[in-house]
Amino acid sequence: MTFSLNMTFSDLLLLLPEIFLTCWLCVVLIVDFSFPRFPKERLAYFSVAGLVITLGCLGWFDLNHISGTLFGNMFVLDRMAIFFKIFILGATILVILASIEYVNRFTLFRGEYYCLVVMAALGMMFMTSANDLLSLFVSLEFATLGFYILVSYLRDDLASNEGGLKFFILGVFAAGLLAYGISLVYGETGKLVFSEMASAQATPGLIIGFLLIFASLGFKIGAVPFHSWIPDTYHGAPTPVTTFLSIAPKAAAFAILLRLFLVALATFKPLWVTLLVAVSILSMTYGNIVAIAQRNIKRLLAYSGIAQVGNVLIGLAAGTKMGSDAIMFYLLAYLFANIGAFAVVIAVSQAIGRDEIEDYRGLNRRSPFLAFAMLLFLLSLAGVPPLAGFIGKLYIFVAAIHEGLYTLIAVGLINIVISMYYYLIIVKQMYINEPVDPSPIGISSPMKVVIYVGLAGTLVIGIYPQPFTDWVVSATVMFSNVVGPSATVIPPGSALGG
Amino acid sequence: MGEYALLYILFAPFAGALGLIFVSNRQPLLVRSIAASAAFVSLITSLYIFYAYDSIAGGFQFVQKFEWSRQLGIALYLGVDGVGTPLVLASSILLFAGIFVSWHIKDRTKEFYIWLLILAAATIGVFMSLDLFFLYFFYEMSVIPMYLLLGMWGSHTKKYLEMTDPEGLKRRDSVGFILNFGSNSKEYAAMKLVLFLSAFAVIALMGILLIYKYSGLNTFDILVLREQANLMNIPALGTTLDKIIWVLVFFGFASIAPLWPLHSWSPVGHAAAPAATSMLHAGVLMKLGHFSIMRVAFEILPETTRELMPIAAVLCMFSIIYGGFVAFYAKDTKYVIGYSSSSHMGYVFLGMAALNYISLSGAVIYMFAHAMATGMLFAMAGWVYDQTHSRDIPSLGGLVNKMPFISACFIVACMASVGMPGTVNFIAEIMIIVGSWNKYPLQVIVAMLGIVLTLAYLFKMMRGLFYGPMNQKYSHAHDAISTVDRLPLLIMISVSIGFGIFPMHLYDVVRSGVDPLVARITRVVPVAETNEGLGVNGKSMPLERTAAPLAAHKAISDPPQGSREERE
Repeated sequence: MTFSLNMTFSDLLLLLPEIFLTCWLCVVLIVDFSFPRFPKERLAYFSVAGLVITLGCLGWFDLNHISGTLFGNMFVLDRMAIFFKIFILGATILVILASIEYVNRFTLFRGEYYCLVVMAALGMMFMTSANDLLSLFVSLEFATLGFYILVSYLRDDLASNEGGLKFFILGVFAAGLLAYGISLVYGETGKLVFSEMASAQATPGLIIGFLLIFASLGFKIGAVPFHSWIPDTYHGAPTPVTTFLSIAPKAAAFAILLRLFLVALATFKPLWVTLLVAVSILSMTYGNIVAIAQRNIKRLLAYSGIAQVGNVLIGLAAGTKMGSDAIMFYLLAYLFANIGAFAVVIAVSQAIGRDEIEDYRGLNRRSPFLAFAMLLFLLSLAGVPPLAGFIGKLYIFVAAIHEGLYTLIAVGLINIVISMYYYLIIVKQMYINEPVDPSPIGISSPMKVVIYVGLAGTLVIGIYPQPFTDWVVSATVMFSNVVGPSATVIPPGSALGG
Repeated sequence: MGEYALLYILFAPFAGALGLIFVSNRQPLLVRSIAASAAFVSLITSLYIFYAYDSIAGGFQFVQKFEWSRQLGIALYLGVDGVGTPLVLASSILLFAGIFVSWHIKDRTKEFYIWLLILAAATIGVFMSLDLFFLYFFYEMSVIPMYLLLGMWGSHTKKYLEMTDPEGLKRRDSVGFILNFGSNSKEYAAMKLVLFLSAFAVIALMGILLIYKYSGLNTFDILVLREQANLMNIPALGTTLDKIIWVLVFFGFASIAPLWPLHSWSPVGHAAAPAATSMLHAGVLMKLGHFSIMRVAFEILPETTRELMPIAAVLCMFSIIYGGFVAFYAKDTKYVIGYSSSSHMGYVFLGMAALNYISLSGAVIYMFAHAMATGMLFAMAGWVYDQTHSRDIPSLGGLVNKMPFISACFIVACMASVGMPGTVNFIAEIMIIVGSWNKYPLQVIVAMLGIVLTLAYLFKMMRGLFYGPMNQKYSHAHDAISTVDRLPLLIMISVSIGFGIFPMHLYDVVRSGVDPLVARITRVVPVAETNEGLGVNGKSMPLERTAAPLAAHKAISDPPQGSREERE
């Protein structure tokens, strides 16, 4: 591999969002240290401003179709990367807005919190652009580093420490697996860049290497059987961090998974379809069934997140361009619903101090707005029309049915019903049961913004998805020439398809 | 107005619901009037499309098409044919009536009307969808409001209240809740309803996805699929694919209808629901099943329908008899009406199974007629419950002194439900019976028995509620006096009797929708469609008793001798 450093200034333009955000991060840090009396709340808005500018820059890139590769194909900026970067930045902005009130309760390190969040976002932005195994490893660890600290941010809270420790140990283990997998793959193929591996032969070493890489990415997205850290970590972590953790790293990891499976492993499609089908079925079923028994809403959303990942994996198992469109669309729907739901959880726990499902009794009487918002977010997660989640699920099923993954779709459909049960249990607490303490619940204004954005996203994507489908379809143009062997289960039928 | 009529019908309730979000609960009159005016727009426009529908031209009219997703091949494609038009009308009548029936709801009025409007609008949406995706979209959308309506404004089933534990239903929140089959709490009813219907809805969705995939047309457009999809003779799982799809679609949608083994969610749901919800639920929500089967299975898989529809003919007998007997023994007014509805839905299946012009038209008219009759019954059961807080028939009685208007209406409603000549139900019933006799004599005998059973349980309930000695506990009960309370009943009664006396337009409209359907399925061209025109003769015979059988006789296409014998 040749490593050319003769970059021009215009090449660096591709890195502009990351460079700008890094500088901004440093400014935030410096302001935090140099002006201890500077209100931390303003620091939050200051970081949001930086993120918004970066977002604007990426939007400009997207509109002008700026793309290219850097550092000998290590870093790629294509429209998919831009999509995921915008996605992650949007999630980060919403998370910071949702954190402000929560972070104000901290006695120490309030400024650093925002720095760490932005740092994690930066790492994930690199992840979405990772185009070879090395940059994958570096950016993945960079992103996770911030999270290790964030998860255990509540120093005096045992649950937070426990969650942080579990996350750290398993995270480091996953990193080890990833490094070992990369070494195996490199040893077998002599290649690091994804697109150059496509011609490799399926040797046992290569397969094991990829399995290890998949395991470590599976750890990031929290798919069964790599999910064991999820419930405790989600439960223990400060709720805004849980929010962040539940959406942004998953999206970044899916960006990598898409590149890995659809580019690097395109020729091995018959092999990995089975793997993905199995993981997807396990994740959906396990996540949904265990979620039924949860009493804590954060744990419930953690398990529901596992199940949602299973749903997204259906799209990956389809392994087509349409599958990748569906994944991105689904993640978009999931972003709004999930961040919205967690925002409601934060708002309620600010008022009550607990986040058991019982505490949602009579929320409709205490705060009709929060209850209504939560209702729509949960229904969107469950996949009820006319909300975004329904279109997302349908998109994924349509992508999968084109590939003939009937079993997977049947399991996915059954899981919709199972998930509806536990989402409705929360709805029951909110709407049907009477409150123990009928005092109204107030909402801070940044939190209101988050919830309004979540509602708007959930409803608009659900009712008029065309612009969003157009966006994801144009973002995955590079997969359109991916022609892998189809995994159709009932071959005689498909012959009649056209 | 004309071409956009369907949009007004569909979106007026949605707009009303949206508007209600911004109104405070402290202005209940404003809330009610917004809801009522939204429903009124729907009602007037549905009346317009019902009378403006050109039954000679037939086909899908008032068509609206908006592209919705290019990638998935989905368009918001709306249009009504002769089957959809009366059902849209029935939905908007019941919505309008339901808003007045629930006029006295005090608790969270705004939310109640929001969900009621969404429920009705979603139902209407199904009746006018010409796109499989939107059919499912609205279908599933109509299920969720039921959960909240039942849960928030419903009532626990009489006498079982002690079974819900007063501690706040903690135990029931976990797995035990599902397994707690004996529970009669409204939460149980609501959850059962939603899970049951969603579970079968996804079965239907699987069928729809298979149609989408194997048609290979990359569209959900029913009209395109109907013309171009070739799903026959694809081997799959030891049989052929079209049969699998048909079974998935049929049973997926039959659960809401509710066909016999899949009915158990329905009476519980009826019993727990508030009056207006029961009305919509029994009146139109259940018809979504029949309608969706006609729209999806009949239109897209006609040959398979001809082959497999005997399944429905067998199951409908159990529906009729089982529902009838349970209704006879039930002691809760709403259970009686609920089981009677599920029994009566068996007639619709019988009419659909016989697959000829008369019986299928009868089935469609029956759906319309049943919506009115059962709507009235539920409205009055709701009134009695509001006054006495009891639905327990043995403990009630003698209410005729306290509520003469209600009991008079109740008699009319019972007559309509039984299928007394003079109501539109009679026409529908006779058409189903006449039309099915050739093909399914056994089922027709069972249906006759069902009519006797209907008489028995409705009269038993009427006697139990309104006659006999009065329980002094209920001496405070009073009649429906104000216009607001009387209006919904009067509307439904006048519709039921009005179409009973002047059925010709309804009949023409329905025939125009049924004819192409049956022709596709049986590939037999109707004999009666000659140039003399059905409407002309119909007008010269205003007496309902002669008009319907004669029309039926005229239009009969199969060997007519059997049906003529059957009429007497």
